[in-house]
Amino acid sequence: MWLPIMGLIIGAIIGLLTDIRIPAEYSNYLSIAILAALDTLFGGIRAQLQNIYDEKVFVSGFFFNIVLAASLAFLGVHLGVDLYLAAVFAFGVRLFQNIAVIRRILLTKWSTSSEK
Amino acid sequence: MKKKVNSNRVILSLVFLVLGFMVAFSFRVTQDENDHSKGLTNRQWEQQLGLRNELIEQEEKNRELQKELNAKQEKVREIEASLSKEAQVFFNMAEDAEKYRMFLGKVKVSGKGVKVTLADGEYNPEEENINNYLVHEHHVFKVINELYISGASAISVNGQRIAHNSYILCTGPVITVDGYQHPAPFEITAIGDPDVLSSALNITGGVKDQLVNDQIIFSLEKMNDIKMDPILGN
Repeated sequence: MWLPIMGLIIGAIIGLLTDIRIPAEYSNYLSIAILAALDTLFGGIRAQLQNIYDEKVFVSGFFFNIVLAASLAFLGVHLGVDLYLAAVFAFGVRLFQNIAVIRRILLTKWSTSSEK
Repeated sequence: MKKKVNSNRVILSLVFLVLGFMVAFSFRVTQDENDHSKGLTNRQWEQQLGLRNELIEQEEKNRELQKELNAKQEKVREIEASLSKEAQVFFNMAEDAEKYRMFLGKVKVSGKGVKVTLADGEYNPEEENINNYLVHEHHVFKVINELYISGASAISVNGQRIAHNSYILCTGPVITVDGYQHPAPFEITAIGDPDVLSSALNITGGVKDQLVNDQIIFSLEKMNDIKMDPILGN
């Protein structure tokens, strides 16, 4: 379990230490990508808890969603349509749904284990 | 099975690495955007400080150079002023030289002045001594001296310029001026203020009266344009 946490910490350190400055208009893409990544992450956790976790789906979904969300936002900016709002909406709704599902599963598990 | 778990962990950690990186990076970028002045990284701040210092240095240098330029311009103006003064001085010197040349008789001069004619008195049988009514060199001297005293700038006797080292001798019936003999009547022309010169000669008891007392025919004429040739052979 320590290896993924190590990865998280190292990634955070690299992110904090890198001195690359990106233009302000690209920070939108970054936030969308993060939203997609978080959505995929929670989706993975939910799948794990529901015992339908598939690593290939999770990893491919993680990276594909990031790229897709960023490219969608990019396309939206260039078409003059605020497509990133759609991405934010979709990912946000799914994020909350996933978290709700995780919460329920955890609650059920906890109540069943406490009943025992 | 264990190998698979390990590979799972590796892939999962890679995913987390990317996630951590993105979150941290986004966090930093957002922080930068929120407050630009405080959100600067140390290095950027230092860079900015360095650039500002450099700018200040440049401005100070500029000011110094500007001051130097002003000083130099001041100097140039001084030099120009002194040059013009020098030119003035040279001009004055040239004028002086010309004037001195005129005084020395090196050049032709012309101007207003007076003409004094001294002629021997009429033959008088009653007078025993002929010298009593002849024009002598001391009469000429008197007239010339009086003219010089009253401000004449150039004098000539019978057309011959008198210089600072001229001599006038009495040689019998004629007088010799610088080796040239001149008979009576003597025409003494002087350049100067005609009024001053004539009134100087006409003073009561002055030169004119003395000459007239010596039986000399004295005539004075104011002239508007007298021309004198330079002294020859000098």
